[in-house]
Amino acid sequence: MPKLTIDDSEVEVEPGFTVLQACEQAGIEIPRFCYHERLSIAGNCRMCLVEMKRSPKPVAACAMPAADGMVIRTNTPAVEKTRKAVMEFLLINHPLDCPICDQAGECDLQDQAMAYGLDHGRYRETKRAVKDKNFGPLIKAVMTRCIHCTRCIRFSTEIAGVQELGATGRGENMEVGTYVEKALASELSGNMIDLCPVGALTSAPYAFRARSWELRKTESVDVMDAVGSNIRVDVRGAEVMRILPRLNEDVNEDWISDKSRFACDGLRYQRLDRPYLRDGGKLRPATWDEAFAAVAEKVKATKARGIAAIAGDTADCEAMTALKDLMAALGSPHLDCRQDGAHLDASHRAGYLFNTSIAGIEQADACLLIGTNPRVEAPIVNARLRKRFLAGGFPVALIGKKTDLTFSHKHLGTTPNVLDKVASGAHPFAKVLNKAKRPMLILGMGALARQDGAAILAAARKIAEDSGMVNDGWNGFNVLHTAAARVGGLDLGFLPGKMGGRDVAGILDGAGMGEVEIVYLLAADEIDMDRLGGAFVIYQGHHGDAGAGRADVILPGGAYTEKNATYVNTEGRAQVARLAAYPPGEAREDWKIVRALSAVLGKPLPFDSLQQVRARMAEINANFAHTGVVAAPWGTFGEEGRLDPAPFASRLANFYMTDPISRASPTMAKCTEAFVNPARRRTGTDG
Amino acid sequence: MTERVLLKNTANPDFHRIDACLAAEGYQGLTKALRKFSPEEIIQLVTDSKLRGRGGAGFATGLKWSFVPKETERPKYLCCNADEGEPGTFKDREIIEKDPHILIEGMAIAAYALGVETGYIYVRGEFDFGARRLEEAIREAYREGYLGKNIRASGFNFDLHVFRGAGAYICGEETALIESIEGKRGQPRLKPPFPAIEGLYGCPTVVNNVETLACIPHILLRGADWFKGIGPEDSPGTKLYCLSGHVRNPGVYELPMGIALRHLVEKHGGGTHSGKKIKAVIPGGVSAPMLPESDLDIDMDFASLAAAGTMLGSGGVIVMDETTCIVRVAMRTIGFFHHESCGKCTPCRDGLYWASKLLKRLEAGKGKKGDVEELERLCGNIFGNTFCPLGDGAAMALRAAIKHFRDEFVYHVEKGKCMVS
Repeated sequence: MPKLTIDDSEVEVEPGFTVLQACEQAGIEIPRFCYHERLSIAGNCRMCLVEMKRSPKPVAACAMPAADGMVIRTNTPAVEKTRKAVMEFLLINHPLDCPICDQAGECDLQDQAMAYGLDHGRYRETKRAVKDKNFGPLIKAVMTRCIHCTRCIRFSTEIAGVQELGATGRGENMEVGTYVEKALASELSGNMIDLCPVGALTSAPYAFRARSWELRKTESVDVMDAVGSNIRVDVRGAEVMRILPRLNEDVNEDWISDKSRFACDGLRYQRLDRPYLRDGGKLRPATWDEAFAAVAEKVKATKARGIAAIAGDTADCEAMTALKDLMAALGSPHLDCRQDGAHLDASHRAGYLFNTSIAGIEQADACLLIGTNPRVEAPIVNARLRKRFLAGGFPVALIGKKTDLTFSHKHLGTTPNVLDKVASGAHPFAKVLNKAKRPMLILGMGALARQDGAAILAAARKIAEDSGMVNDGWNGFNVLHTAAARVGGLDLGFLPGKMGGRDVAGILDGAGMGEVEIVYLLAADEIDMDRLGGAFVIYQGHHGDAGAGRADVILPGGAYTEKNATYVNTEGRAQVARLAAYPPGEAREDWKIVRALSAVLGKPLPFDSLQQVRARMAEINANFAHTGVVAAPWGTFGEEGRLDPAPFASRLANFYMTDPISRASPTMAKCTEAFVNPARRRTGTDG
Repeated sequence: MTERVLLKNTANPDFHRIDACLAAEGYQGLTKALRKFSPEEIIQLVTDSKLRGRGGAGFATGLKWSFVPKETERPKYLCCNADEGEPGTFKDREIIEKDPHILIEGMAIAAYALGVETGYIYVRGEFDFGARRLEEAIREAYREGYLGKNIRASGFNFDLHVFRGAGAYICGEETALIESIEGKRGQPRLKPPFPAIEGLYGCPTVVNNVETLACIPHILLRGADWFKGIGPEDSPGTKLYCLSGHVRNPGVYELPMGIALRHLVEKHGGGTHSGKKIKAVIPGGVSAPMLPESDLDIDMDFASLAAAGTMLGSGGVIVMDETTCIVRVAMRTIGFFHHESCGKCTPCRDGLYWASKLLKRLEAGKGKKGDVEELERLCGNIFGNTFCPLGDGAAMALRAAIKHFRDEFVYHVEKGKCMVS
């Protein structure tokens, strides 16, 4: 462990630390622009220069490895002069347009100029100006403000894995751009906005909408996929203005996907802000009393086994708990949280979790992807796989639709036949897995949400067992969910009851045949509504999407930013989303709606506060009693059987639109147009 | 006049042909190296010769070679820096165009000593003729068995490629040169790791100047003591000096290290072509601080020039007579560095931008009070704070111009015109 002296005090740091990190450990802040702990070291901004004994020139703290016996000074007049010099140089070509810059108030350059800038400009020559670039619908570029730190270039090259951004030109003509002007095709591009230390790259949808100091910040979790990225929700008044990532080393590090970040403008559109009743074939606004009365009347007239409930992709655990208990009180076994029909086996928790954990990917040394495209289904997981890949010695193979994962991998084939071969050990990649010390596999919904899903699950379990993926302290078997609600629903047992309970397919079949008369959709929009036949549909949710369109009664609930709610991510990590803004109009937090309805139905649920609901959740499953991930015991799950030779298909056709919020988002619509359907022919009516 | 070593054959117009070389002592150094020396012995020989790099920094060549790890599974590379971009320098071009085989031979010996099997000659983009000469010479060397597999039946393999630059001054900096060969943007890399450990494609790499490598065959043939016998003790050998500017006899001169600058300019250069008084001389390319006429009695070697606050650099000696406007020289010099700044680091990119604009204004007669002090302050803010020596060199050059000819700058500010014309 190198020991060095920084400003007269001795610091012992881990080997491999830089001087800048050592200074941080000693509690000394070093100003910087280009340095970022998750990116390669550039050393180009020169803001972090410090004095080092025996060095004739100041050294860049970010790039200098800490070594034993080093004597560093960060508080001398010479260091101060250097910082002021660099700051002055940065400012000569930086437009002093803070009053009209969206970065103002959270700008590194502005903040550090307060410490190291002069109170007047000495520069009397003309300033440089750079033509703005079109980086697509998400990133607004004002390139004159660029200070050439190259964080964005390093992020796109290293983390996002898209080699599209670079610098052209030399000296004062150096410009950051894509050379051939085009939108940045990465599902992680929004992170460059956070990384940009100045206002060169700012959020396009958020442009000129609010000032950073006007925002109320709430720590929460994201529900756009099953990763459970930690986020910060910034609200002004009742409106969510933007969403930013929050550091969580175990989950999303510093990043979030573009959907997690930008879909929030969908919260402003298509909202269900009051109950509705279908009257003469048309939905009409109603009061809560009317809506509940209509439900009560229908329930009263229906046998218990004629009632069914489906929980959708963004349903929270509190609401699912309430609805599950209500269904039990009503005496119906027909409930399911797997609206995509995935053959997830809840008998063993290890059978439906991402057991390796997202951070655990970094310990793996071989990976098999089955029926999944993590880049689309969980960009944060894909970024972690890429990070592991870049560290070297990580063979990756994919069985499924051929795709660009941003890192090189073997495409073994598209059909389950290949899976069979790997499972039997006949495939060469089986040997790779066998040889690996910590092999892992990732099973996607594209493999499970098909007729032979249970057999594929069993085959994957066999591969895991045969190649030693499950042993002491290591579990390489992973299910990558796409829905934020799924693991929570499975943990809560929001599943068909033992007494002939119907699953989603059974409910839909039953509804079509008239055997199921009432279907309660808890934010479930991704089922085939046409198959609901003549059933009486109760839709509880927050957006006027497919479910609301089919509903006979609409009970308006809250979106994830509008309730205190628990979500369990694909790793089995229970995390809490917090109320950042109240639900609009008469909409209410979801568990409260179910609780209120239960009273009207004469089956009052025994909880009246959030604490009581959560206590009930912990009673159903002890995993809700703590945060973090607990290793799930291994078991036998899946059903061995014949595999259908049809190729695996991805569940998500369009990354940008996967749930009612993102489908309502104008920004996601723009992304769809720019990235998913770029060749679509436009007609005169497209505007 | 001492014996010519590096340029002894350049008068022969056919010496770029391998036949002419072989008829003289061409490739005998390589043959001797392969037959009689182990790689370690060659490194020791070069260390003993006290050969110092001719690219500008004057780093001891033997020491540089000794940094390359002996036992490594990774391939090692040898790059010849033939980017010769320093204004006022045209010595490497002389070797490349007129005696390319001495460079190839030097590289082959170095490669053998370092355990390198692949070499690159990074040729300045403007040297089209030179690059073609080199390519032709390399073809000949392959044909005659001095390159390729199993050279002279020694079991030693060496492949050599010409890589043409695209005209960026910064690519003469060794790590930027490496980036450029890798197909990347020409920008210097962080050090450490140094190229000897992680260079081209992340592998151990040595980058040597053309003139340095051309010395190697001679050292091999005639020994370290012979080499040490030429010039001063701590930087021996002959040196190619490039005389240009207001000098009667411009050209490349091969003379011992440590020759007096005045002797070089007045005796070999024949003084100014106009017969006017010398005003100042830049001793080692435009990044070397200029010396006023009164300081010309100085020895042209690394230590003496460093002691005088300037440097031998690439040996590009630029003579300016008394009609020269130093403000204009500074403007042109800083304009060059501003144009060639790669844009990577702040002080160089923005500092030289500022200094260049200010000098242009000053030269145009629109100077303002305080401009000279501003320039000095800018030099102080650039020097020492840049990523690579490009910005330092520019700041040093400008500083020296102001130091020695402050009155001219002040005249420009006060009178709005030039003092000398």
